[in-house]
Amino acid sequence: MAAGVGGQRSQDGEAQPTPSERRPGWPQRTSGDTTRANPSRGMLLTLLTALTLSGCSPPDHGYFGTVKPVHGPDEIWINNSTEPEWIDPSTCSDSAGGEIIANMFAGLVQTHPATLEPCPDIATHWDISKDGRTYTFYLRPSVWSDGTTPLTAHDFVYSFRRLVDPRTGSKYASNGHVFRGGAAITSGDATPESLGVRALDDLTLEVTLEEPVPYIMSLLTFYSFMPIPRHLIKDLEARGIEAGLWTRPENLVCNGPYRMTEWRFRQSMRFEKNPHYWDVANVRLDRVRLAMVESSTTELAMYAAGEFDWPGHNSSLPFEFMNYVEGFKDFSRHTELRSYFYWINTKRPPLDNPRLRQALSLAVDREALVTHVTRGGQTPTASLAPDGLAGYRGLDLPLFDPDEARRLLAEAGYASGNDVPPITLTYNTSEGHKQVAEAIQQMWKKELGIRVELENLEWNVFLDKAARTDFQICRMGWSADYEDPFNFLEILSSASGNNHSNWKSPEYDRLLSEANRELDPTIRLERLREAEALAMAGQPVIPIYIGTRSQLIKPYVRGIWPNSLVRHPWKYLWIDEQFDPSAAPVSEPPPPACLGASDR
Amino acid sequence: MKGYVLRRLLELVPTMVIIVVASFALVRLAPGSPFASEKDIPPQVRAALEAKYGFDKPLYEQFGRYVGRLLQGDLGPSTKYPQRSVNEIIADGFPATLTLGAVALTWALLVGITAGIIGAVRQNTVWDHAAMAAALVGISIPSFVLGPVLVLVVSLRWHLLPPAGWGGWQHVILPGFALGTIYAASIARLTRGGMLEIVRSDFVRTARAKGLPERLVIWRHMLKGGLLPVVSYLGPAIASILTGSVVVEKIFNIPGIGPYFVDATFNRDYFLVMGIVVVDAVLLLALNLVVDVVYGLLDPRITYS
Repeated sequence: MAAGVGGQRSQDGEAQPTPSERRPGWPQRTSGDTTRANPSRGMLLTLLTALTLSGCSPPDHGYFGTVKPVHGPDEIWINNSTEPEWIDPSTCSDSAGGEIIANMFAGLVQTHPATLEPCPDIATHWDISKDGRTYTFYLRPSVWSDGTTPLTAHDFVYSFRRLVDPRTGSKYASNGHVFRGGAAITSGDATPESLGVRALDDLTLEVTLEEPVPYIMSLLTFYSFMPIPRHLIKDLEARGIEAGLWTRPENLVCNGPYRMTEWRFRQSMRFEKNPHYWDVANVRLDRVRLAMVESSTTELAMYAAGEFDWPGHNSSLPFEFMNYVEGFKDFSRHTELRSYFYWINTKRPPLDNPRLRQALSLAVDREALVTHVTRGGQTPTASLAPDGLAGYRGLDLPLFDPDEARRLLAEAGYASGNDVPPITLTYNTSEGHKQVAEAIQQMWKKELGIRVELENLEWNVFLDKAARTDFQICRMGWSADYEDPFNFLEILSSASGNNHSNWKSPEYDRLLSEANRELDPTIRLERLREAEALAMAGQPVIPIYIGTRSQLIKPYVRGIWPNSLVRHPWKYLWIDEQFDPSAAPVSEPPPPACLGASDR
Repeated sequence: MKGYVLRRLLELVPTMVIIVVASFALVRLAPGSPFASEKDIPPQVRAALEAKYGFDKPLYEQFGRYVGRLLQGDLGPSTKYPQRSVNEIIADGFPATLTLGAVALTWALLVGITAGIIGAVRQNTVWDHAAMAAALVGISIPSFVLGPVLVLVVSLRWHLLPPAGWGGWQHVILPGFALGTIYAASIARLTRGGMLEIVRSDFVRTARAKGLPERLVIWRHMLKGGLLPVVSYLGPAIASILTGSVVVEKIFNIPGIGPYFVDATFNRDYFLVMGIVVVDAVLLLALNLVVDVVYGLLDPRITYS
């Protein structure tokens, strides 16, 4: 089966709850949290207090801060939040780098900015073999940003081999395991040349898959699959320059809508429209400037002053401010494919008892949790794969059933919760995770009488423990990289390195693998559903909610359509100079259907 | 004097050895890994990454290699920023930290010494009380409070200066003020205290007796002695300013070296953590030495043996 594709998590992007019981616009400390313990929290409280004291109430026009484009009509400033680790498609594994790659490179296909359907990009069209395993992509003639070197199918072959080659050191190598032989190459059992990707001629690329997975086109829009300028890397190697430096602006060659012209370490990057991008006529803004502002409070101040037109999707609003900014017209919120759940270590007593695990899940009042604790419009869920995702019919498990939970507890052999040996719930340091954990701790105490201790760990220590499954219950989040329920279900397979539950089921693995061999989409989804039902009966996870994205976008920034993968290509962005704050907000007209499709 | 400086320099060697050994041991004892990732990394890829940085070797060998490189001035590679070396990262961030520190220090010295002199010369007057009250407030307000309030008032309400960023003169004023105020307040109190000690000494009385105008008494005689406590304070203060401020650099998004103290540790960026510790230690030790030498030049009572 295709192991390890998709799915990325973020440290604290999952839970951005606002503290409950809080008056709007007024700071309140939550129990056990002091301002002195955390300067940034103290900083937030100060600013919030000052905001309130200085009477900085919503201005008349109802927007947060200025609504005049400070940088003119041809430029936009976005915050990318942090210095990216890599902006090399093969080695990148963080969303800060992914955002840059997605806009500097053009892959075989691109995501439609509103519907997320895969649309032609460098590939104008493609054929799919009867068994669904072989895709033949026909590429358009195009050149790299150096203006002379043609982009060919050989570049894609080189890039995909480089992704799975263990010598590259790519943390996302497993993304390439959809291709035939990909996993064997990463584990060192085969040479990169054996990968099921070959160039039939300069403009024809044949891709053979390990399994006929239907989400391959959606997956190919992901940044790991962007082409790499083979000629540049060869050239650097010939000149004795470390090839890893090819993404520095003095060397960089790309093929997408924008190219980088300046990279000030940990400060900012400047991008200009790439005149050699095949679809440059449809790229609207001349310049994009990305900043790396890590503090979300600083970001908010810069947004208010108009320095940032859009805080970007790698940042999150400081939740101390959530109640305050919610009232402004430039605030918006939409569902994001991001699941928040608790792993259970199914090998460590007393949680090796499936009935006890089910009792715990049923005793979580998810509705109350999202209404009173997280308060970000999240969708409560007791299943892992979201209902309605790519046509998937969710399991519709009960969100809360305390009576059944108590019955299961008795069935598990405990007369009362007091008899259950102590359980520890582990989470990484974050106010949001803490509040969710505290709420669930109370629910378990109230409904089942089970005492749970909370353990709060620094991020790196937390990851280390999670990877070794050295915990009883730990919180986790999982973001989708492509729209398919498999993205979520895959993490419970026995082979998945992301399965931290010790729960393994050959039956589950068989169903997943059967589903991925199935060519009929309806039967495939049904198999996946059976698999999920099996997993949820074993309850190695306690799903809690599907997340939302809360953000501020200046009203004059146009060309952003809300979508569940939070993909907003820069090439559609534009600045509306005619924006009038006193007029009613204009809704974004739908974008063109599959840009580039007409060139077929 | 020469002998004293030489001896002090020699003393630096064992101190540095202890610091390097301790920082290496501590950073390696911390649980976690520089390649920790939420998404599982294939074992062969992890092995390749570890081999690239030499983490697959036994610890003593890694330490040997580190020290070998350190002696050549090479602080090693960064795992968090794989395209940059620690030398590059520190060299890149140091000018920003230095600029900010220079502004903060200038502000601190100007305001602090002036307020201290006023307080001492006009002891127990309204002037003195006002200056010392202001100093007390300055010491009491942490920069993570002062910074955001400055941003709110000066940037967001008056629209006079940008709320954050780096590059022009306008970006350095607010953070310089936020960082320097606490030092200004300490300097004011130290100056006043130092001056008050001197003001009753014989040589000041003599100076006054021979009819020197008060202005000259203050400038020529009192200030030199009165500033001694400030000088000893300045050594560690300058070192602390030069190694950056985590809080102020974060609030104003200044690309200095301050935040690495915290961030590099969280990222388990081994070489960057050790690099920052080594640079900081060298600065602190060197500045302490400079202070001790300057002390002797200012105060004839001190001799070096």
